[in-house]
Amino acid sequence: MVRRYLLIVYLPLLLFAANLIPDTGVQASSQFESTLTAGAQPTPTFDVRRLDQPVIPLDNTEQLKKGSEIYWGICMACHGDIGQGLTDDWRDAFGTEDRNCWQSGCHGSDHPPQGFLIPKDKLAPAIAGSGKLARFRNAQELHDYLLANMPWWDPGQLTDEESWQVTAYMLSLHKVMPKRFELADTNASAIRTQYAVPQPSDDRPAILALTGILALATIGMVAQELRKNGLRFPERPNFYHHLHPPTVPALQARLRYTLGAGGLAVFLCLTLLVTGILEMFYYIPTPEYAAVSVEVIASLAPFGALIRNLHFWAAQALLIVISIHLMRVVLTGAYARHRRLNYLIGLGMMVLVLLLDFTGYILRWDEGIRWALVVGTNLLKTIPWIGDSLYQLVVGGPEPGLSSLERFYTWHIFVLTLGMIILGAWHIFRVRRDGGIAVPPPDQRQDHTRLSRFDLVRREVLVMLMATVLLLLVSTLFPAPLARPITQATVDVTTSTPDAHAPWFFLWVQQLLKLGDAFFWGVVSPILLLILLALIPYLLPQAKEAEFGRWFPRGNRIAQILIILIMLILVLLTVIAVMPTVQL
Amino acid sequence: MKKITRRDFLKLSTNSLVMLSGILGIGGLIRYLCYPFDPTPPTEFDIGPATQYPVDSRTIVHYIPAIVIHDEKGIRAISLACSHLGCAIEERNFGFECPCHSSRYDLDGVVLKGPATDSLRKFRVEKSEDGNLHVFTA
Repeated sequence: MVRRYLLIVYLPLLLFAANLIPDTGVQASSQFESTLTAGAQPTPTFDVRRLDQPVIPLDNTEQLKKGSEIYWGICMACHGDIGQGLTDDWRDAFGTEDRNCWQSGCHGSDHPPQGFLIPKDKLAPAIAGSGKLARFRNAQELHDYLLANMPWWDPGQLTDEESWQVTAYMLSLHKVMPKRFELADTNASAIRTQYAVPQPSDDRPAILALTGILALATIGMVAQELRKNGLRFPERPNFYHHLHPPTVPALQARLRYTLGAGGLAVFLCLTLLVTGILEMFYYIPTPEYAAVSVEVIASLAPFGALIRNLHFWAAQALLIVISIHLMRVVLTGAYARHRRLNYLIGLGMMVLVLLLDFTGYILRWDEGIRWALVVGTNLLKTIPWIGDSLYQLVVGGPEPGLSSLERFYTWHIFVLTLGMIILGAWHIFRVRRDGGIAVPPPDQRQDHTRLSRFDLVRREVLVMLMATVLLLLVSTLFPAPLARPITQATVDVTTSTPDAHAPWFFLWVQQLLKLGDAFFWGVVSPILLLILLALIPYLLPQAKEAEFGRWFPRGNRIAQILIILIMLILVLLTVIAVMPTVQL
Repeated sequence: MKKITRRDFLKLSTNSLVMLSGILGIGGLIRYLCYPFDPTPPTEFDIGPATQYPVDSRTIVHYIPAIVIHDEKGIRAISLACSHLGCAIEERNFGFECPCHSSRYDLDGVVLKGPATDSLRKFRVEKSEDGNLHVFTA
């Protein structure tokens, strides 16, 4: 039986895998296709058609077409129709008086101010061809240079958008520009100037097909689920079945009681583990390459954007799901008696997840994280006595840099992850050890029906399938955030207002910090909050065993009110933090 | 006081020794992890010839980051890192504002509104023999 269901799961994965294979071969061949129409050899008489506006093939972006217009109007006079620079052949295209630009100035008869003088110490360099543009490693650097320095007689005339357009066209003259690729701050560092990166493919049809197939499988499983449950032992249990007890009280498996939050958290953790490992194949944890490698994952590697988006959204979802899980446990009083150790383990994991989310966020190493990193690490310095050592331990140097990134990487992919695996295994073990999900003892139960592990596993697979479909949809529709890389250039000349928002899960801390003393509001109060949460099972009245398995039992009312208050305050602070502030 | 048997004594001393070695080990671990791998950032910046900073000018030097002010009182430099938690502050008509936690400073870097409590740091500015200005952040 189960094997058949698994087939439903595997089949789309197989189809998905089959989709990957033919893709790679085709890509490489198209990258050297020229977007040029004119490429004439130098002839004694200049072919005036070379001065016509370049014709751009239809399969290029609007950005590149606009770029060709600007290049034609502004840049071509000096840098040539094929990017050859101001060669003798190209000067033959000019009127006789302009042929020797250095002597006549350009627009010879209407000299400056209408025309301009070519500076004698500068040559209009070639911008296309082997070995050219070598001073720029990637499209981002070229764009920044154009924006700041071109055209040379009026630097700053090009807008940011126009600089991207010209960059796209120049790189297509240089034959390194992928087709149908829109350059932006978030992907241009991945486009190199010295070699053509493989043409990125459009993954969306394949992803949509996969999502559709999985959605159909989910509907099929829901149809199965409509049959009456009962104790059935249709076949020998497999390994995954054996991770579950042979039967569980049906009371423990009600979605409206557990909300499926714990199981969903496990599933999200597994998703994060797999997608995280896949990201590690490309990610390079150095300040120079971190953000660039993220751009490679997000905009060049086939299905890379999907993997990164899944990792991002699973991480955000995990925070929400564990918050719901914590709320559920407190609002049903399930942490009572011997279960309170497991409550503490759960809280420990919540701290680890917050740290994992923060370190993962820092690993982007783009302009979006810069101030969160500065604030987060400077907060450590405010701690009396141990602050400076702690800062040194976390940052690994006098200020955030190479060592910090390496350390955040190690914490993220290894130390914190290992902590999650250990605590997670312990947490799940304790659930089993404490008699499964909290329900009244057998003699105080109304409902004595039991559910077999086969039905339980089927429900779990169903919830996982639904979660997968949802994650895939969100990941396809909403890309994970990314900004331009932090480089020496952006540190030296911060022209735009940096994004000063903390990551959303720390917005409440950012709002608290505005209240006053950094140590008290930024360090002490979050720790006090954590201690308060940890003390709930030890100081406040607990629910009675007979009350287990129900929402809002009478026994732990105070704890319920407390957790609702805490959550309301956190949500309120977050909302205030994102509200636009009034500028003076 | 309860009498300690030989067995208890041995057990106690073994346990304490193991604990002591653990504490020493953690100390060593912390020292290992605190080694500063990255170089110390520069504390002296050559910001070019003094003629670039005429009277009544306010020039932002991003790589320090600082603002160099030249008025009737002379040339001085004020840090552009917020004294609260180090974000880069932005210029406003009243002076400066921090985008992170909305601290405000006046044109001379004195706190107008918290959470920051200290004024912006003042950097020493000196003119070297070649006529260039040097800013000292140490």
